Amino acid sequence: MSEILADPLPLDGDAPEAARVFDEVLLSVDNITLTFGGVTALSNIGFDIRKGEIRAIIGPNGAGKTSMLNVINGFYHPQQGKITFKGEERRRMRPHNAAKQGIARTFQNVALFKGMTTLDNVMTGRLLKMKTNMFWQAIYWGPNQREEIKHREFCEHIIDFLEIQAIRKTPVGRLPYGMQKRVELARALAMEPELLLLDEPMAGMNIEEKEDMSRFILDVNDQFGTTIALIEHDMSVVMDLSDRVVVLDYGRKLADGTPAAVSRDQKVIDAYLGVGH
Amino acid sequence: MNTRLIASWLIGAPAAVVGLGLVIQLAALADPSLYFAWGYYFEVFVGGLLQGVMYSLVALGFVLIFKASSTFNFAQGSMVLFAALTMVGFIEWGLHWTIAFALTMGVMVLLAMAIERVVLRPLVNQPHITLFMATIGIFYFLDGFGQTLWGSDVKSLDIGMPRTPVIVLENVFDGGIMINQFDLVAALVGGALVLGLAVFFQKTRIGRALRAVADDHQAALSVGIPLKTIWVVVWTVAGIVALVAGVMWGGKMGVQFTLALIALKALPVLILGGLTSIPGAIVGGLIIGAGEQVAEIFLGHFIGSAIQDWFAYVLAMLVLLVRPQGLFGEKIIERV
Amino acid sequence: MLYREAGQFKSSYASDQAIFPIRQDKIGIALILVVALLVVPFVASNYVLNSILVPFLVFSTAAIGLNIVTGYCGQVSLGTGGFMACGAFFAFKLTTAFPDIHIILIFLLAGFGTALVGIVFGLPSLRIKGFYLAIATLAAQFFLIWMFTQNPWWTNYNPAGVITAPPRALFGDFYITGVRATPVGKYLFLVCFVTILALVAKNLVRSALGRAWMAIRDMDIAAEIMGIRPMMAKLSAFAVSSFFIGISGALWAFIYTASVEALAFEVTRSFQVLFMIIIGGLGSILGSFLGAAFIVLLPILLNSAPAMVGIRMSTELLTHLEFMIFGALIVFFLIVEPQGLARLWQIGKEKLRRWPFPY
Repeated sequence: MSEILADPLPLDGDAPEAARVFDEVLLSVDNITLTFGGVTALSNIGFDIRKGEIRAIIGPNGAGKTSMLNVINGFYHPQQGKITFKGEERRRMRPHNAAKQGIARTFQNVALFKGMTTLDNVMTGRLLKMKTNMFWQAIYWGPNQREEIKHREFCEHIIDFLEIQAIRKTPVGRLPYGMQKRVELARALAMEPELLLLDEPMAGMNIEEKEDMSRFILDVNDQFGTTIALIEHDMSVVMDLSDRVVVLDYGRKLADGTPAAVSRDQKVIDAYLGVGH
Repeated sequence: MNTRLIASWLIGAPAAVVGLGLVIQLAALADPSLYFAWGYYFEVFVGGLLQGVMYSLVALGFVLIFKASSTFNFAQGSMVLFAALTMVGFIEWGLHWTIAFALTMGVMVLLAMAIERVVLRPLVNQPHITLFMATIGIFYFLDGFGQTLWGSDVKSLDIGMPRTPVIVLENVFDGGIMINQFDLVAALVGGALVLGLAVFFQKTRIGRALRAVADDHQAALSVGIPLKTIWVVVWTVAGIVALVAGVMWGGKMGVQFTLALIALKALPVLILGGLTSIPGAIVGGLIIGAGEQVAEIFLGHFIGSAIQDWFAYVLAMLVLLVRPQGLFGEKIIERV
Repeated sequence: MLYREAGQFKSSYASDQAIFPIRQDKIGIALILVVALLVVPFVASNYVLNSILVPFLVFSTAAIGLNIVTGYCGQVSLGTGGFMACGAFFAFKLTTAFPDIHIILIFLLAGFGTALVGIVFGLPSLRIKGFYLAIATLAAQFFLIWMFTQNPWWTNYNPAGVITAPPRALFGDFYITGVRATPVGKYLFLVCFVTILALVAKNLVRSALGRAWMAIRDMDIAAEIMGIRPMMAKLSAFAVSSFFIGISGALWAFIYTASVEALAFEVTRSFQVLFMIIIGGLGSILGSFLGAAFIVLLPILLNSAPAMVGIRMSTELLTHLEFMIFGALIVFFLIVEPQGLARLWQIGKEKLRRWPFPY
């Protein structure tokens, strides 16, 4: 299993999450500006994500939340600004470099490998950690098989953790939506990321599925010590899960702080409810 | 298309032509065995351009179907063959070519309906690549079907187009430039067809519906666009374009099996111009046609003959490396 | 009742990850190999060996190759014929220049050479996708065939542009190419060789590399975000695919036809192999074999069927009918079962497990 950075503070439903304090900055973005042609998707955004926290990014539709995640994992290249991850400033990079540095991600519209089984999908998360060369893979037996089994074991832990044992051998294209979301989380977890980006992990779910997913997110953060940045529209989920919230609107940053502070912020209230109501 | 783009082409294209000529002249100076004269160069070039219009005619059929159904219709070439074979068949019955032409148009409508019913409808919402492979199936089927019906002998198709070459610009170049009249007429017909289609797509209600269908089958259905009708219309139009191309090509080189293979010539034209652009198909055809002829004569001198077989593809591939969406294609923005 | 895995428990990941995890499948594949090696050579006529089994095995290799790049990695390639020609001509040049090198090594070297060519023509896949790429691979097809027909060097200046396989023995007097090779000898060699190649392919696609290919095929953006480098995945798929296709081209030229010209690898050959994997099943090694068998057998059946029912047809008409049936079948398969014969086989197995109960 991975190194378990167990959080000393047990998460208990009643204790306010503000009790958790995080000092070490894992990722910081400064002055990010991203434009497509003439459209400005992000302008001068800056915030940080600290090690071990659950950070929510919220905002109305089109606020630039997904663009922000795309910038963080190297899919979009901002015209201005810098990103520092684990103390290193990143220059232009491709998504696979971000993966190598320990950033994993799930997508708003499920982006699973539809032709593959659940197990194979989760196993792709281990690809970066598999080292045997093509020659041994062609032989299969020997080093390659040992490696396959080692990583299979790891993936089975994740599968157990997310309670998807029964669909292990099912092609993911045949799974219902909620399950697909869960497999996607499993696949991201298999990468043992330091920073996990979740793009609307609960979109389109009913209340039971949301509760399951919230539990998984908290468990991941708690048991693996994974830092999580998530985008979510359901405010009650955001308020319950996150340690700190950053609010975007029209590509600008509106507010940044604890859930309680943000929800009292007048600018945020205006953006969500409209001015003059 | 904006005016700046057109202007840059109007200036850039002739400059490129002259530049290419200069390069070849330099090569000819270095290697005296390579014959070069400006008159000869332009003759080759113009011959290539006219040939290129013929490629465009075939490419046009592809673009039409691609625009309307995002399907790469590999069968366009066999539709050309099938249309030409059918028309020759009717003429052999003793009909006048105009009647044969009209009858063949009717056959192409039936064909479009059959394809829609048997192939497209069951494959709605399948991945594009599946549809592409299905059209390879249609390609083989039509090839076999046409020849089963009408036989596979080489047949001539003559609708009375002039065949004598004319010589122009005698006072500018030594010996003038020889132009094949047949190609010239074909080019004019092709041009007219393109104009008509452009109007059809941009100005009519059906044209707008076509573009909606191309974007998203389901979404188009849900706003009440009759998918079936649209497909029949577009495949019919593609069929008629194929017929015109078949008449031209068949008149030029006889109606025979190889006619289906000119589709292979149209493919690089297509990716060069961009799959979704009618002007792209034209410009692409001109570039490929001229480039191919010039390369065959002058580059072929150095690296061996018959480079026509692959030159167009390599040229198109090089363009794609710089502009993956082709010269006139819509830029693809990837999203997650 | 016969085909049921109840009671076969797996106690290790190794046994769960085996190619044939179910006992009945293991017995089945062993039986097929035993029959292929010990029974077929004694009962099959030379006609069956030469015109059905040998081409079937050669085509299977090509189909496996194309399936790797198209079925597993999702990059449609229409350059198969050109790559087969590479294999054939590379093997010919190598074995005539170095007659002492063992023929198996020659085949492998031809495969590696073709893999390099495959990488070069796979480069456009980094920039372009889908139809654009399919057409760009035609550049490989036309360019390579042109190169082999235009350059007499490739045929050792044969005036007809034909290469003829020199006699080469596997060991001692056991010739597998040239006039002294017997159909049985060729067949036995191919069975062993192709089985090993298929095993290699299967191992690759069930390992890390195969998963990277499939990830690129299914969702390339997500694959990149998982840390898969698209360039590595695509180019390795092109390389491995071309390796197999190159070997199949060498086998075609040396063992199946014994002498061949570049035009035997025209673009129609590319389509033929593409049909094999569509009909057999994209993304399935078994499907490559099924598709190859289907495409090899179909013309033979079509040719003999009219004679059997007493209809006489001209060969020309037969060719046209063959075209039509081919085309219709392609469309039929895409509509009814886009995943091909391999999928039908799988459905059959699932039905068999439950038999005699409907659910």
